[in-house]
Amino acid sequence: MDKYTDADWNWDFFKELVDDVDENKNIIACISCGKCVGDCPASKISNFNIRKIIQKILRGDRSVLKDSDIWFCFLCERCKRVCPKENINIPLLILNLRNESFKKGYGPKYNDLTKYVEMSERFLTNGTVLDNPLGKELPQDRVDELNEICNFARIKYVFKASKNKKQKKKK
Amino acid sequence: MESQNLVLDLEKIEKAYPENPIEFFKGKKLCLFKACLEAYFPGVRWGIQDLLEALDIEVVTCSQQSCCSGTFFQRNLITRSQFSAINERNLNEMNHQADIVLFSCNGCYNSVLRGRDFLKVPEVKKKTQDILESLKKKDLGENYPGKYDILDNTELRLVHDLDFLYLLKSNVLDSLKFDLKGLKVAVHYGCHYLNLERDKDTVESYLKDKKKLDEFVSLFGGVPVDYQEKESCCGWGASQIVLNPKDALKVTFNKLKSAEDVGADFILMPCPTCLYTLSKPEYREKMFKWFGEMLDIPTIHLNELIAILRGCEEERCITLRRKTPRLEEIFNIITKE
Ligand code: SF4
Ligand code: SF4
Repeated sequence: MDKYTDADWNWDFFKELVDDVDENKNIIACISCGKCVGDCPASKISNFNIRKIIQKILRGDRSVLKDSDIWFCFLCERCKRVCPKENINIPLLILNLRNESFKKGYGPKYNDLTKYVEMSERFLTNGTVLDNPLGKELPQDRVDELNEICNFARIKYVFKASKNKKQKKKK
Repeated sequence: MESQNLVLDLEKIEKAYPENPIEFFKGKKLCLFKACLEAYFPGVRWGIQDLLEALDIEVVTCSQQSCCSGTFFQRNLITRSQFSAINERNLNEMNHQADIVLFSCNGCYNSVLRGRDFLKVPEVKKKTQDILESLKKKDLGENYPGKYDILDNTELRLVHDLDFLYLLKSNVLDSLKFDLKGLKVAVHYGCHYLNLERDKDTVESYLKDKKKLDEFVSLFGGVPVDYQEKESCCGWGASQIVLNPKDALKVTFNKLKSAEDVGADFILMPCPTCLYTLSKPEYREKMFKWFGEMLDIPTIHLNELIAILRGCEEERCITLRRKTPRLEEIFNIITKE
Protein backbone atom coordinates (compact mmCIF):
# COMPACT_ATOMS: atom_id res chain seq x y z
CA MET A 1 0.00 0.00 0.00
CA ASP A 2 1.12 3.51 -0.81
CA LYS A 3 1.63 5.58 2.27
CA TYR A 4 1.10 8.74 0.22
CA THR A 5 -2.10 10.62 -0.51
CA ASP A 6 -2.76 13.08 -3.31
CA ALA A 7 -2.06 15.92 -0.91
CA ASP A 8 1.55 14.79 -0.74
CA TRP A 9 2.55 15.92 -4.26
CA ASN A 10 5.42 18.33 -4.00
CA TRP A 11 7.60 19.34 -6.92
CA ASP A 12 10.43 21.18 -5.18
CA PHE A 13 12.85 18.29 -5.01
CA PHE A 14 12.01 17.19 -8.55
CA LYS A 15 12.61 20.72 -9.84
CA GLU A 16 15.99 20.88 -8.14
CA LEU A 17 17.05 17.62 -9.73
CA VAL A 18 15.85 18.81 -13.15
CA ASP A 19 17.69 22.10 -12.70
CA ASP A 20 20.83 20.11 -12.14
CA VAL A 21 20.35 17.53 -14.91
CA ASP A 22 17.69 18.43 -17.46
CA GLU A 23 17.15 14.82 -18.53
CA ASN A 24 15.67 14.05 -15.11
CA LYS A 25 12.46 15.77 -16.21
CA ASN A 26 11.52 12.60 -18.09
CA ILE A 27 10.86 10.66 -14.90
CA ILE A 28 7.54 12.44 -14.71
CA ALA A 29 6.35 10.08 -17.43
CA CYS A 30 6.90 7.05 -15.16
CA ILE A 31 3.74 4.93 -15.02
CA SER A 32 4.92 2.88 -12.05
CA CYS A 33 4.74 -0.32 -14.06
CA GLY A 34 7.65 -1.84 -12.14
CA LYS A 35 9.34 -3.39 -15.19
CA CYS A 36 12.62 -1.76 -14.19
CA VAL A 37 12.44 -3.37 -10.76
CA GLY A 38 11.71 -6.84 -12.08
CA ASP A 39 14.82 -6.83 -14.24
CA CYS A 40 17.15 -4.95 -11.90
CA PRO A 41 20.19 -6.85 -10.53
CA ALA A 42 20.43 -4.50 -7.54
CA SER A 43 16.81 -5.19 -6.57
CA LYS A 44 17.59 -8.90 -6.49
CA ILE A 45 20.22 -8.47 -3.80
CA SER A 46 18.99 -5.45 -1.81
CA ASN A 47 15.96 -3.32 -0.97
CA PHE A 48 16.81 -0.99 -3.84
CA ASN A 49 13.61 -0.24 -5.75
CA ILE A 50 13.80 2.37 -8.46
CA ARG A 51 10.02 2.65 -8.87
CA LYS A 52 9.70 3.62 -5.21
CA ILE A 53 12.62 6.04 -5.49
CA ILE A 54 10.94 7.81 -8.41
CA GLN A 55 7.71 8.01 -6.42
CA LYS A 56 9.52 9.54 -3.47
CA ILE A 57 11.16 12.15 -5.70
CA LEU A 58 7.82 13.10 -7.23
CA ARG A 59 6.38 13.51 -3.73
CA GLY A 60 9.29 15.70 -2.70
CA ASP A 61 10.49 13.15 -0.17
CA ARG A 62 14.19 13.90 0.27
CA SER A 63 14.80 10.95 2.54
CA VAL A 64 16.05 9.05 -0.53
CA LEU A 65 19.28 10.96 -0.18
CA LYS A 66 19.91 9.30 3.15
CA ASP A 67 18.87 5.86 1.95
CA SER A 68 21.76 3.47 1.62
CA ASP A 69 19.74 1.90 -1.22
CA ILE A 70 20.79 4.44 -3.82
CA TRP A 71 24.36 3.17 -3.51
CA PHE A 72 23.32 -0.31 -4.65
CA CYS A 73 22.53 0.55 -8.28
CA PHE A 74 24.86 -1.32 -10.69
CA LEU A 75 24.52 1.38 -13.37
CA CYS A 76 23.98 -1.49 -15.77
CA GLU A 77 21.37 0.38 -17.86
CA ARG A 78 19.04 -2.60 -17.95
CA CYS A 79 16.13 -0.48 -16.69
CA LYS A 80 16.65 1.94 -19.56
CA ARG A 81 16.33 -0.95 -21.93
CA VAL A 82 13.12 -2.42 -20.48
CA CYS A 83 11.28 0.78 -19.53
CA PRO A 84 8.25 1.29 -21.79
CA LYS A 85 8.67 5.07 -21.60
CA GLU A 86 11.11 6.96 -23.78
CA ASN A 87 14.14 8.68 -22.32
CA ILE A 88 13.82 7.82 -18.65
CA ASN A 89 17.50 7.61 -17.75
CA ILE A 90 17.64 5.96 -14.34
CA PRO A 91 21.42 5.45 -14.06
CA LEU A 92 21.89 9.17 -14.65
CA LEU A 93 19.21 9.98 -12.08
CA ILE A 94 20.95 7.72 -9.56
CA LEU A 95 24.29 9.44 -10.19
CA ASN A 96 22.55 12.75 -9.64
CA LEU A 97 20.98 11.57 -6.37
CA ARG A 98 24.34 10.27 -5.18
CA ASN A 99 25.87 13.62 -5.98
CA GLU A 100 23.25 15.40 -3.88
CA SER A 101 23.75 12.86 -1.14
CA PHE A 102 27.51 13.51 -1.18
CA LYS A 103 26.94 17.26 -0.98
CA LYS A 104 24.85 16.75 2.14
CA GLY A 105 27.55 14.54 3.62
CA TYR A 106 25.58 11.28 3.52
CA GLY A 107 27.65 9.42 0.90
CA PRO A 108 30.25 6.74 1.62
CA LYS A 109 33.61 7.89 2.86
CA TYR A 110 35.93 7.36 -0.07
CA ASN A 111 39.02 7.89 2.03
CA ASP A 112 38.24 4.61 3.70
CA LEU A 113 37.85 2.81 0.40
CA THR A 114 41.48 2.00 -0.24
CA LYS A 115 40.76 0.58 -3.69
CA TYR A 116 39.36 3.95 -4.82
CA VAL A 117 42.15 5.92 -3.27
CA GLU A 118 44.65 3.73 -5.08
CA MET A 119 42.82 3.95 -8.39
CA SER A 120 42.43 7.73 -8.11
CA GLU A 121 46.08 8.07 -7.23
CA ARG A 122 47.18 6.02 -10.21
CA PHE A 123 44.89 7.92 -12.56
CA LEU A 124 46.29 11.27 -11.44
CA THR A 125 49.91 10.08 -11.57
CA ASN A 126 49.92 7.64 -14.53
CA GLY A 127 46.62 8.19 -16.35
CA THR A 128 45.52 4.59 -15.83
CA VAL A 129 43.83 2.69 -13.01
CA LEU A 130 46.30 -0.20 -12.94
CA ASP A 131 50.03 -0.43 -12.43
CA ASN A 132 52.23 -1.61 -15.29
CA PRO A 133 50.02 -0.68 -18.24
CA LEU A 134 50.42 -2.70 -21.40
CA GLY A 135 52.71 -0.58 -23.59
CA LYS A 136 54.25 2.80 -22.79
CA GLU A 137 53.27 4.93 -19.81
CA LEU A 138 51.40 8.19 -20.44
CA PRO A 139 53.85 11.12 -20.85
CA GLN A 140 54.01 13.53 -17.89
CA ASP A 141 52.58 16.45 -19.92
CA ARG A 142 49.42 14.46 -20.56
CA VAL A 143 49.19 13.49 -16.89
CA ASP A 144 49.44 17.21 -16.03
CA GLU A 145 46.53 17.84 -18.37
CA LEU A 146 44.42 15.23 -16.58
CA ASN A 147 45.19 16.95 -13.29
CA GLU A 148 44.16 20.28 -14.74
CA ILE A 149 40.89 18.77 -16.05
CA CYS A 150 40.15 17.26 -12.64
CA ASN A 151 40.64 20.52 -10.75
CA PHE A 152 38.17 20.85 -7.87
CA ALA A 153 36.79 17.37 -8.49
CA ARG A 154 36.18 14.90 -5.69
CA ILE A 155 38.85 12.64 -7.20
CA LYS A 156 41.44 15.21 -6.11
CA TYR A 157 40.23 15.30 -2.52
CA VAL A 158 40.29 11.52 -2.29
CA PHE A 159 43.82 11.68 -3.60
CA LYS A 160 44.88 14.45 -1.23
CA ALA A 161 43.29 12.71 1.73
CA SER A 162 45.29 9.60 0.93
CA LYS A 163 48.50 11.64 0.76
CA ASN A 164 47.80 13.24 4.11
CA LYS A 165 47.07 9.87 5.63
CA LYS A 166 50.33 8.48 4.32
CA GLN A 167 52.33 11.43 5.59
CA LYS A 168 50.75 11.10 9.01
CA LYS A 169 51.62 7.43 9.06
CA LYS A 170 55.26 8.20 8.16
CA LYS A 171 55.51 10.69 10.99
CA MET B 1 25.15 22.14 -33.52
CA GLU B 2 24.56 18.68 -32.11
CA SER B 3 27.69 16.65 -31.48
CA GLN B 4 27.68 13.39 -33.38
CA ASN B 5 27.98 10.18 -31.41
CA LEU B 6 30.72 9.11 -33.88
CA VAL B 7 29.68 5.46 -34.10
CA LEU B 8 30.84 3.75 -37.28
CA ASP B 9 27.83 3.10 -39.54
CA LEU B 10 28.10 -0.65 -40.09
CA GLU B 11 24.95 -0.91 -42.21
CA LYS B 12 26.29 1.65 -44.63
CA ILE B 13 29.51 -0.33 -45.02
CA GLU B 14 27.55 -3.57 -45.52
CA LYS B 15 25.54 -1.90 -48.26
CA ALA B 16 28.53 -0.30 -49.97
CA TYR B 17 30.70 -3.44 -49.79
CA PRO B 18 28.25 -6.37 -49.67
CA GLU B 19 30.82 -8.90 -50.91
CA ASN B 20 33.87 -7.75 -49.07
CA PRO B 21 33.41 -5.18 -46.29
CA ILE B 22 37.13 -5.38 -45.48
CA GLU B 23 37.73 -3.17 -48.53
CA PHE B 24 36.30 -0.25 -46.56
CA PHE B 25 39.13 -0.52 -44.04
CA LYS B 26 41.95 -0.73 -46.58
CA GLY B 27 44.01 2.46 -46.56
CA LYS B 28 42.46 3.51 -43.24
CA LYS B 29 44.29 3.60 -39.94
CA LEU B 30 42.73 1.81 -36.99
CA CYS B 31 43.60 2.73 -33.43
CA LEU B 32 43.08 0.25 -30.58
CA PHE B 33 41.64 2.04 -27.54
CA LYS B 34 43.79 0.85 -24.65
CA ALA B 35 41.63 -0.60 -21.90
CA CYS B 36 43.32 -0.49 -18.48
CA LEU B 37 42.40 -4.11 -17.82
CA GLU B 38 44.38 -5.27 -20.84
CA ALA B 39 47.34 -5.04 -18.46
CA TYR B 40 45.94 -8.18 -16.82
CA PHE B 41 44.80 -9.78 -20.07
CA PRO B 42 47.33 -8.89 -22.80
CA GLY B 43 45.76 -11.49 -25.10
CA VAL B 44 42.78 -9.16 -25.45
CA ARG B 45 45.05 -6.61 -27.15
CA TRP B 46 47.35 -9.01 -29.02
CA GLY B 47 44.44 -11.06 -30.30
CA ILE B 48 42.96 -8.20 -32.30
CA GLN B 49 46.28 -6.56 -33.14
CA ASP B 50 47.75 -9.75 -34.62
CA LEU B 51 44.55 -10.41 -36.57
CA LEU B 52 44.47 -6.91 -38.08
CA GLU B 53 48.11 -7.16 -39.08
CA ALA B 54 47.44 -10.52 -40.72
CA LEU B 55 44.53 -8.95 -42.59
CA ASP B 56 46.80 -6.15 -43.82
CA ILE B 57 44.92 -3.45 -41.97
CA GLU B 58 47.04 -0.67 -40.54
CA VAL B 59 46.77 -0.71 -36.76
CA VAL B 60 48.19 1.65 -34.14
CA THR B 61 47.83 2.40 -30.43
CA CYS B 62 47.94 5.95 -29.11
CA SER B 63 50.64 6.62 -26.51
CA GLN B 64 48.85 9.85 -25.46
CA GLN B 65 45.59 8.12 -24.50
CA SER B 66 44.56 7.92 -20.84
CA CYS B 67 42.07 5.66 -19.08
CA CYS B 68 38.48 6.42 -20.14
CA SER B 69 37.76 7.53 -16.54
CA GLY B 70 34.37 5.80 -16.55
CA THR B 71 35.05 4.27 -13.16
CA PHE B 72 35.54 7.73 -11.62
CA PHE B 73 32.49 9.21 -13.27
CA GLN B 74 30.37 6.32 -12.10
CA ARG B 75 31.47 6.88 -8.51
CA ASN B 76 30.75 10.62 -8.62
CA LEU B 77 34.43 11.52 -8.37
CA ILE B 78 34.40 13.73 -11.49
CA THR B 79 31.63 15.82 -13.08
CA ARG B 80 29.97 15.27 -16.43
CA SER B 81 32.02 18.00 -18.10
CA GLN B 82 35.28 16.75 -16.62
CA PHE B 83 34.41 13.28 -17.83
CA SER B 84 33.58 14.60 -21.31
CA ALA B 85 36.80 16.65 -21.34
CA ILE B 86 38.88 13.55 -20.55
CA ASN B 87 37.10 11.77 -23.39
CA GLU B 88 37.52 14.60 -25.85
CA ARG B 89 41.21 14.88 -25.00
CA ASN B 90 41.63 11.21 -25.82
CA LEU B 91 39.59 11.47 -29.01
CA ASN B 92 41.61 14.50 -30.14
CA GLU B 93 44.82 12.54 -29.67
CA MET B 94 43.51 9.57 -31.59
CA ASN B 95 42.13 11.78 -34.31
CA HIS B 96 45.72 12.87 -35.04
CA GLN B 97 46.70 9.29 -35.62
CA ALA B 98 43.80 7.30 -36.96
CA ASP B 99 40.48 7.14 -38.81
CA ILE B 100 38.71 4.57 -36.67
CA VAL B 101 38.98 3.65 -32.97
CA LEU B 102 38.32 0.06 -31.88
CA PHE B 103 37.16 -0.90 -28.37
CA SER B 104 37.92 -4.22 -26.68
CA CYS B 105 36.05 -3.18 -23.51
CA ASN B 106 32.32 -2.53 -23.05
CA GLY B 107 33.15 -0.05 -20.30
CA CYS B 108 35.50 2.11 -22.39
CA TYR B 109 33.09 2.01 -25.35
CA ASN B 110 30.15 3.03 -23.18
CA SER B 111 32.24 5.75 -21.53
CA VAL B 112 33.25 7.42 -24.76
CA LEU B 113 29.69 7.28 -26.13
CA ARG B 114 28.31 8.56 -22.84
CA GLY B 115 30.81 11.42 -22.85
CA ARG B 116 29.70 12.32 -26.38
CA ASP B 117 26.07 12.09 -25.26
CA PHE B 118 26.63 14.64 -22.52
CA LEU B 119 27.83 17.13 -25.11
CA LYS B 120 24.25 17.28 -26.39
CA VAL B 121 23.45 19.26 -23.25
CA PRO B 122 24.51 22.85 -24.09
CA GLU B 123 25.57 23.65 -20.56
CA VAL B 124 27.81 20.57 -20.29
CA LYS B 125 29.23 21.25 -23.73
CA LYS B 126 30.15 24.78 -22.76
CA LYS B 127 31.80 23.68 -19.53
CA THR B 128 33.71 20.96 -21.39
CA GLN B 129 34.97 23.48 -23.93
CA ASP B 130 35.97 25.82 -21.08
CA ILE B 131 38.01 23.05 -19.49
CA LEU B 132 39.72 22.33 -22.81
CA GLU B 133 40.39 26.08 -23.18
CA SER B 134 42.05 26.09 -19.76
CA LEU B 135 44.47 23.43 -21.05
CA LYS B 136 45.29 25.70 -23.99
CA LYS B 137 46.00 28.62 -21.68
CA LYS B 138 48.33 26.54 -19.59
CA ASP B 139 50.13 25.54 -22.77
CA LEU B 140 50.85 22.21 -21.21
CA GLY B 141 53.39 20.29 -23.26
CA GLU B 142 55.93 22.12 -25.41
CA ASN B 143 55.13 20.17 -28.54
CA TYR B 144 51.41 20.36 -28.07
CA PRO B 145 50.36 23.90 -27.34
CA GLY B 146 46.60 24.41 -27.30
CA LYS B 147 45.43 21.56 -29.38
CA TYR B 148 42.22 20.26 -27.85
CA ASP B 149 38.73 21.18 -29.02
CA ILE B 150 35.44 19.33 -28.96
CA LEU B 151 35.41 17.23 -32.12
CA ASP B 152 32.35 18.66 -33.83
CA ASN B 153 33.08 18.00 -37.47
CA THR B 154 35.27 15.00 -37.53
CA GLU B 155 35.70 11.96 -39.71
CA LEU B 156 36.85 9.90 -36.72
CA ARG B 157 34.63 6.88 -36.07
CA LEU B 158 34.24 4.46 -33.15
CA VAL B 159 33.41 0.77 -33.18
CA HIS B 160 33.20 -2.05 -30.63
CA ASP B 161 35.47 -5.02 -31.40
CA LEU B 162 32.52 -7.42 -31.49
CA ASP B 163 30.67 -5.34 -34.10
CA PHE B 164 33.85 -4.88 -36.13
CA LEU B 165 34.80 -8.56 -36.02
CA TYR B 166 31.25 -9.58 -36.93
CA LEU B 167 31.31 -7.32 -39.95
CA LEU B 168 34.52 -9.01 -41.10
CA LYS B 169 33.44 -12.49 -40.04
CA SER B 170 34.37 -14.20 -43.29
CA ASN B 171 37.90 -12.78 -43.11
CA VAL B 172 38.12 -13.81 -39.46
CA LEU B 173 37.01 -17.34 -40.33
CA ASP B 174 39.50 -17.58 -43.21
CA SER B 175 42.34 -16.72 -40.86
CA LEU B 176 41.61 -19.56 -38.41
CA LYS B 177 43.70 -22.68 -38.07
CA PHE B 178 41.55 -24.52 -35.54
CA ASP B 179 37.89 -24.84 -34.64
CA LEU B 180 35.94 -25.28 -31.42
CA LYS B 181 35.45 -29.03 -31.98
CA GLY B 182 31.87 -28.95 -30.76
CA LEU B 183 32.68 -27.41 -27.37
CA LYS B 184 29.66 -26.00 -25.57
CA VAL B 185 29.93 -22.27 -25.04
CA ALA B 186 27.88 -19.98 -22.80
CA VAL B 187 28.06 -16.43 -24.14
CA HIS B 188 28.00 -13.32 -21.98
CA TYR B 189 27.54 -9.98 -23.75
CA GLY B 190 27.91 -7.76 -20.69
CA CYS B 191 25.45 -5.05 -19.61
CA HIS B 192 27.15 -2.18 -21.36
CA TYR B 193 26.98 -3.98 -24.66
CA LEU B 194 23.62 -5.68 -24.17
CA ASN B 195 21.75 -2.67 -22.84
CA LEU B 196 23.44 -0.03 -24.95
CA GLU B 197 21.21 2.05 -27.19
CA ARG B 198 23.53 4.97 -27.69
CA ASP B 199 25.03 3.46 -30.83
CA LYS B 200 21.81 2.16 -32.41
CA ASP B 201 19.43 3.83 -34.83
CA THR B 202 16.92 1.07 -35.39
CA VAL B 203 15.31 -1.75 -33.47
CA GLU B 204 16.73 -4.21 -36.04
CA SER B 205 20.30 -3.16 -35.41
CA TYR B 206 19.61 -3.34 -31.70
CA LEU B 207 18.32 -6.91 -31.86
CA LYS B 208 20.93 -8.10 -34.32
CA ASP B 209 23.69 -7.23 -31.87
CA LYS B 210 22.31 -9.60 -29.28
CA LYS B 211 23.06 -12.61 -31.47
CA LYS B 212 26.53 -11.82 -32.72
CA LEU B 213 28.47 -13.77 -30.09
CA ASP B 214 26.14 -16.78 -30.37
CA GLU B 215 26.64 -16.75 -34.12
CA PHE B 216 30.39 -16.55 -33.75
CA VAL B 217 30.35 -19.64 -31.55
CA SER B 218 28.48 -21.61 -34.24
CA LEU B 219 30.73 -20.28 -37.00
CA PHE B 220 33.78 -21.34 -34.97
CA GLY B 221 32.43 -24.88 -34.77
CA GLY B 222 31.09 -24.75 -31.21
CA VAL B 223 27.61 -25.06 -29.73
CA PRO B 224 26.13 -21.96 -28.10
CA VAL B 225 24.19 -23.05 -25.01
CA ASP B 226 21.34 -21.12 -23.46
CA TYR B 227 21.42 -20.54 -19.73
CA GLN B 228 19.15 -18.88 -17.21
CA GLU B 229 21.50 -16.01 -16.31
CA LYS B 230 22.67 -15.28 -19.86
CA GLU B 231 21.62 -11.64 -19.73
CA SER B 232 22.53 -10.95 -16.14
CA CYS B 233 25.37 -8.73 -14.96
CA CYS B 234 28.84 -10.20 -14.29
CA GLY B 235 28.67 -8.73 -10.79
CA TRP B 236 31.13 -5.88 -11.31
CA GLY B 237 28.21 -3.45 -11.22
CA ALA B 238 30.17 -0.20 -11.44
CA SER B 239 32.41 -1.34 -8.59
CA GLN B 240 29.68 -2.91 -6.44
CA ILE B 241 32.13 -5.78 -6.15
CA VAL B 242 34.48 -3.44 -4.32
CA LEU B 243 31.80 -1.73 -2.24
CA ASN B 244 29.47 -4.64 -1.42
CA PRO B 245 31.48 -7.72 -2.34
CA LYS B 246 29.24 -10.35 -0.83
CA ASP B 247 26.08 -9.14 -2.57
CA ALA B 248 27.81 -8.47 -5.86
CA LEU B 249 29.58 -11.83 -5.86
CA LYS B 250 26.22 -13.51 -5.42
CA VAL B 251 25.33 -12.12 -8.85
CA THR B 252 28.65 -13.43 -10.20
CA PHE B 253 28.11 -16.79 -8.55
CA ASN B 254 24.61 -17.17 -9.99
CA LYS B 255 25.91 -16.41 -13.45
CA LEU B 256 28.82 -18.86 -13.33
CA LYS B 257 26.70 -21.55 -11.70
CA SER B 258 23.93 -21.20 -14.24
CA ALA B 259 26.46 -21.65 -17.08
CA GLU B 260 28.05 -24.67 -15.36
CA ASP B 261 24.66 -26.23 -14.74
CA VAL B 262 23.88 -26.43 -18.46
CA GLY B 263 27.23 -28.07 -19.08
CA ALA B 264 29.03 -25.18 -20.76
CA ASP B 265 32.74 -25.81 -21.34
CA PHE B 266 33.57 -22.12 -21.01
CA ILE B 267 32.04 -18.61 -20.99
CA LEU B 268 32.85 -16.29 -23.88
CA MET B 269 32.62 -12.48 -23.59
CA PRO B 270 33.66 -9.29 -25.37
CA CYS B 271 34.80 -7.28 -22.31
CA PRO B 272 37.91 -7.47 -20.07
CA THR B 273 36.04 -5.99 -17.08
CA CYS B 274 33.51 -8.84 -17.15
CA LEU B 275 36.42 -11.22 -17.73
CA TYR B 276 38.18 -9.88 -14.65
CA THR B 277 35.10 -10.29 -12.47
CA LEU B 278 34.15 -13.70 -13.75
CA SER B 279 37.67 -15.15 -13.63
CA LYS B 280 39.58 -13.61 -10.71
CA PRO B 281 40.83 -16.52 -8.54
CA GLU B 282 40.33 -14.52 -5.30
CA TYR B 283 36.68 -13.97 -6.22
CA ARG B 284 36.19 -17.66 -6.97
CA GLU B 285 37.63 -18.48 -3.55
CA LYS B 286 35.42 -15.95 -1.81
CA MET B 287 32.37 -17.41 -3.57
CA PHE B 288 33.42 -20.83 -2.35
CA LYS B 289 33.69 -19.51 1.18
CA TRP B 290 30.40 -17.62 1.11
CA PHE B 291 28.19 -19.79 -1.08
CA GLY B 292 29.74 -23.21 -0.53
CA GLU B 293 30.62 -24.26 -4.05
CA MET B 294 33.90 -24.00 -5.95
CA LEU B 295 33.14 -23.08 -9.55
CA ASP B 296 35.91 -23.65 -12.05
CA ILE B 297 34.26 -22.89 -15.39
CA PRO B 298 36.87 -21.14 -17.60
CA THR B 299 36.27 -17.69 -19.10
CA ILE B 300 37.67 -16.32 -22.38
CA HIS B 301 37.51 -12.94 -24.15
CA LEU B 302 36.51 -13.04 -27.82
CA ASN B 303 39.87 -11.56 -28.89
CA GLU B 304 41.73 -14.23 -26.91
CA LEU B 305 39.60 -16.97 -28.44
CA ILE B 306 40.32 -15.74 -31.94
CA ALA B 307 44.02 -15.74 -31.09
CA ILE B 308 43.78 -19.36 -29.86
CA LEU B 309 41.85 -20.41 -32.97
CA ARG B 310 44.45 -18.71 -35.15
CA GLY B 311 47.14 -20.82 -33.51
CA CYS B 312 48.91 -18.16 -31.52
CA GLU B 313 51.30 -19.21 -28.76
CA GLU B 314 49.57 -19.99 -25.52
CA GLU B 315 51.45 -17.29 -23.61
CA ARG B 316 50.40 -14.63 -26.06
CA CYS B 317 46.69 -15.52 -26.07
CA ILE B 318 46.02 -16.38 -22.44
CA THR B 319 47.73 -14.78 -19.52
CA LEU B 320 49.84 -17.23 -17.62
CA ARG B 321 48.61 -16.03 -14.26
CA ARG B 322 45.06 -16.97 -15.21
CA LYS B 323 45.91 -20.51 -16.20
CA THR B 324 43.70 -23.04 -14.51
CA PRO B 325 43.56 -26.76 -15.29
CA ARG B 326 40.24 -26.42 -17.10
CA LEU B 327 41.37 -23.47 -19.20
CA GLU B 328 44.49 -25.39 -20.13
CA GLU B 329 42.30 -28.33 -21.10
CA ILE B 330 40.15 -26.14 -23.38
CA PHE B 331 43.31 -24.76 -25.00
CA ASN B 332 44.59 -28.28 -25.63
CA ILE B 333 41.28 -29.51 -27.08
CA ILE B 334 41.06 -26.59 -29.50
CA THR B 335 44.67 -26.71 -30.62
CA LYS B 336 44.93 -30.47 -31.08
CA GLU B 337 45.97 -31.10 -34.70
S1 SF4 C 1 20.99 0.65 -13.87
FE1 SF4 C 1 20.59 0.47 -11.66
S2 SF4 C 1 18.36 0.68 -11.50
FE2 SF4 C 1 18.80 0.23 -13.63
S3 SF4 C 1 18.59 -2.01 -13.79
FE3 SF4 C 1 20.76 -1.55 -13.45
S4 SF4 C 1 21.03 -1.71 -11.22
FE4 SF4 C 1 18.80 -1.53 -11.61
S1 SF4 D 1 9.99 0.71 -16.16
FE1 SF4 D 1 9.93 2.93 -16.56
S2 SF4 D 1 7.75 3.48 -16.44
FE2 SF4 D 1 7.97 1.44 -15.48
S3 SF4 D 1 8.25 1.88 -13.26
FE3 SF4 D 1 10.30 1.74 -14.18
S4 SF4 D 1 10.85 3.86 -14.74
FE4 SF4 D 1 8.62 3.83 -14.38
